[in-house]
Amino acid sequence: MAQRSRRSRALVLAVGAALFVGLALIGTSRLAAETDPPARQKAPTSPLLGGIPQDRSALGHPDAPVTLVEYADLQCPYCAQWTLGTLPHLVREYVGTGKLRIEFRGLAFIGPDSDKALRAALAAARQDRLWNVVELLYANQGPENSAWASEELIDRIANSVPGLDVKRFNADRRLEALDTDIAKAQAQAQASGVRGTPAFELGATGSTPETLEVTSLAPDEFAAAIEALLGR
Amino acid sequence: MSGRRRLVQVTTVLALAGAGIAGYLTYVHYTGTRIACPTGSCETVQSSSYALLGPFPVALLGLLAYIAILTGLLLPNAVKWTVVLATSLSGSIFSAYLFAVQALELHAFCTWCLASDILITALAALSATALFTDEPRRQGSSRNGLAS
Repeated sequence: MAQRSRRSRALVLAVGAALFVGLALIGTSRLAAETDPPARQKAPTSPLLGGIPQDRSALGHPDAPVTLVEYADLQCPYCAQWTLGTLPHLVREYVGTGKLRIEFRGLAFIGPDSDKALRAALAAARQDRLWNVVELLYANQGPENSAWASEELIDRIANSVPGLDVKRFNADRRLEALDTDIAKAQAQAQASGVRGTPAFELGATGSTPETLEVTSLAPDEFAAAIEALLGR
Repeated sequence: MSGRRRLVQVTTVLALAGAGIAGYLTYVHYTGTRIACPTGSCETVQSSSYALLGPFPVALLGLLAYIAILTGLLLPNAVKWTVVLATSLSGSIFSAYLFAVQALELHAFCTWCLASDILITALAALSATALFTDEPRRQGSSRNGLAS
């Protein structure tokens, strides 16, 4: 009898503690998911792209000997990490010196904000300013599907990109032709066996690029693969 | 071997497996290493805002939970299964929520997370079983008719 009572007490204690901790964790998680990470919002944008040629979704000189293809979803935090952390290094070392061009292939698989942000990027590509918009979108990225890619944010970004015709940009975002661009990138990703983002392909410009497997998003492995193709 | 000892052994093995998975996901988070993923959706889940609790990855929380379970197994019998049940049931409740997030919000499943969900739920079931299983009768007590 005493043991049964002891067991009941233990059970009540365990279940009570578990409910308390479990629900506290869920509450914290909901709160965290609904709050923009402050570090992200404050992320500065760099003058990195100034003076670097852009052609539609490509960044860098068209005659650069090496091409890096990036498959990315604008809602993917690792893509943001790569663009804000590693891209500046690659731009300084290789793109700015005419050795590398980078092609952006946007995917929109995470949700509605992916599509909205991607359409903004592709509309900017029509004015050869995709990379400016992409950099600013990543710098202001919010939690997935929290409606962070708002009209207000896109408008603010568009107005801060030098030389962008905002009226034309806003009209282009509604173009049906963008659906074709998005479908094409998706088909290319499928053909390349892309299973997550960011994913990369690297090759001599003009040749079919090969999948670039990296174990981390730090610049080192990208630099090594680019150097190898440059024949160093 | 007594059933109770077997329960401790199975619980230890499951908690070690869970710690391995959570440890791997924590390592991936802090090193930025690309995650090995059979379904291809792990990155979507692991890079989502739901994979973080404040500044810490959820995987680290999982690792701490499995370590707490392993530590709990070293406690005296009177409190051992209460601690293991409380920890694993907390984990199961949070795992059920994260499973719903994967299914309903992210539309992507992380295989590692699902494996951990199964392990933590199995641990909760095992510890509940242990809490309700009678202690084996000790020989002296049995002879004296004192065991309950």
